[in-house]
Amino acid sequence: MKRAFTKMSWSLVSVAFFAGLLIAWKLAADAKLLNPLWFPAPDRSFAKLWEWITSGALWSPLADTVWRMFAGWLAACVAGVSIGALIASSTAGRRLLQPTAEFLRPLPASAILPPAILVLGFSNAMIVFVVAFGCVWPILLGAIHGFGSLDQRLVEVSRLLNLTAWQRAWKFQLPSAAPYIFAGMRVSIAIALIVTVASEMLSSQPGIGYLMLVAARAFRSADIFAGIIVLGALGFLTNYATQRVEDWLLRWR
Amino acid sequence: MLEAHGLSVAYGAQTILRDVSFDVAEHEFVCLVGPSGCGKTTLLRTLAGLTAVSSGSARFKARSIDGPQTELAVVFQDYARALLPWRSVRGNIALALEARGIPSAEHAGRIAPLLEKLRLAQHADKFPSQLSGGMQQRLQIARCLAQEPQVLLMDEPFGSLDAITRQELQDEVARLAKDERRTVVFVTHDLEEAIYLGDRVIALAANPGRIAEIVTIQLPRPRNQLTTREDPRFLEYRHRLYRHLGH
Amino acid sequence: MGALLPVLVLSLWEALSRAGVLSEDGFSRPSRFFVAGAKALADGTLLVQTAQTFAAAGQALAIAAFAGIVLGAILGLFRPLERAASLTIESLRPIPSVALIPLSLLLFGFSRDMSAAVAAFACFWPILLVTISAVRSVDVRLIEVGRLLGYSLPNIIAKFALPAALPAILVGIRVAAGIAIVVTVTTEIVTNPRGLGFAMTMAAQSLQADLVWATLMWVGVIGYLLNWGLERLERRWLRYR
Repeated sequence: MKRAFTKMSWSLVSVAFFAGLLIAWKLAADAKLLNPLWFPAPDRSFAKLWEWITSGALWSPLADTVWRMFAGWLAACVAGVSIGALIASSTAGRRLLQPTAEFLRPLPASAILPPAILVLGFSNAMIVFVVAFGCVWPILLGAIHGFGSLDQRLVEVSRLLNLTAWQRAWKFQLPSAAPYIFAGMRVSIAIALIVTVASEMLSSQPGIGYLMLVAARAFRSADIFAGIIVLGALGFLTNYATQRVEDWLLRWR
Repeated sequence: MLEAHGLSVAYGAQTILRDVSFDVAEHEFVCLVGPSGCGKTTLLRTLAGLTAVSSGSARFKARSIDGPQTELAVVFQDYARALLPWRSVRGNIALALEARGIPSAEHAGRIAPLLEKLRLAQHADKFPSQLSGGMQQRLQIARCLAQEPQVLLMDEPFGSLDAITRQELQDEVARLAKDERRTVVFVTHDLEEAIYLGDRVIALAANPGRIAEIVTIQLPRPRNQLTTREDPRFLEYRHRLYRHLGH
Repeated sequence: MGALLPVLVLSLWEALSRAGVLSEDGFSRPSRFFVAGAKALADGTLLVQTAQTFAAAGQALAIAAFAGIVLGAILGLFRPLERAASLTIESLRPIPSVALIPLSLLLFGFSRDMSAAVAAFACFWPILLVTISAVRSVDVRLIEVGRLLGYSLPNIIAKFALPAALPAILVGIRVAAGIAIVVTVTTEIVTNPRGLGFAMTMAAQSLQADLVWATLMWVGVIGYLLNWGLERLERRWLRYR
């Protein structure tokens, strides 16, 4: 009980600290210590955000960004898990594919943008493809690692129970691979957000990214900060949601 | 029921077991005891069909044992590794039922008596990580019983447990074996445990693994942790078999 | 064996391109882009651009490491401060680095500072968090030994706390270095002031498909080598573990 109270009071302290920073910012902006062109007082950004929400100007670009992000990420999940499952059992397959996957993992996903634009032009398909490409490697590597990690003892148990290959894959290998796959998915969704926004900025496709770039060119800094808040919130929500789903599915740990 | 005839297992130049012959009758509780390295675990794994025989034969009901079969259930010493961490107690027991193709409507009816028998009813929805060592081992035994095997092969099942839990489980296994009329082959390095539990004790010598002596235990059942262990015949058996443990 | 797949893919690509199945405008072909890449290497442009990217990334990493380690050490040592700052950290951390590109453009225009600022933001968080956790988990016993031996607080931090926390911090820096390169290249692709990202976007805009692919391959190789090099360095420095 006491611990819960202490936890709550510390949450209040951190809220107060955060609010304190915002107030300090406002004071500095008003006193012209910060260039108001670049650092407008926070209330202006919040007001702009509110305006976006109430006028409906936020929803269409936000929806665009979100669906592209998820489409690419989901495609990567499906591809990564199925390919990983297929080749995990074959040493030859793994030796064939794993070095390439390890090589492509540190490659910045956005680096695929210029060639993708050449091939697919400025389109939604291009963005979704680039997102999927960037997301697939962590998931694939997680799946390969996960599917190969079944404890030897459990393999013996599955043989002793006389399970079919399908039963073994579904009841033993998939659950045991799940933690690794989820770790890959969590990393990927962060990549998905970054790559989607970067793609929008580069290809001038409607979305939050493009919205912010236009604002930058017009020196509308309140819009920029409003956009930062939106993207920060989006990043936070996707990470939180993924984490909660993972915690629930893997609550047996 | 089970028969080993001139059974030998070798890995390359190393002979683990040499010329082992014995049989296990139906409903019998046979204990395999011996010092470390005598190959008793290998012998058990051969009977389970997990390890191949180099020469000689191992038979179950006159059929040669080529691979795992569901009539022979194995209880491993490292119980944590033999349970599915992502399934609850119920789920782990259900695994054996699913493997047998039993429809899920019947599962609850079959799992409940096992939970009662192994005293896990209160923990039915917990995950293995939430259970103590003794409970996890009971869960493994429950899953093996759900296979409705004819033979229980137990590989030092209580080796990782504390003394008190060990004694509790010894009595539980003895009781289960009698109530369910199962045949048991029980591997242990603990001589007293072997004599306490067995109808017969097969003592193995090491380097290479071979049968040193087979002793029939004529102690009354049901056995009791206090009185049986003080019985003069118990001590006699102990003296007789002690030297085979490499002392 | 690992090289088999890339070789197969490249051969297939070459064949399909020559057969006219893959359009040359978009896909180019391996024979062409290896030539373009060799040319860009030989006349130095690729190397200059690599240096520009690395300079921006290095600047970012230096800023992020300094700020991250100092702040991380302070927050790690003083729990109340860390708790007070927790909401601020958790609110700012999820902001994707690219979201700061417009702001950075506004502040710095098209320059190296612009890319470095965005990358520094991205690198700062892993270093900060790793340092906090590493400093927090330094064995209290070690600090007690320092105090018993009569060392002052700054000396205890320098001689006991930081060296003990160093292995974990180095891992954080290695991760951050990778992030620095990735974010710098991303920033260059989107806004292209200079560097490898700029090179790729420029080539794409002038429809030089072979140069685009060649630069992409180069970026991949650089990223891989960097990662490998950093891992080896880390292993050597931390040999005592």
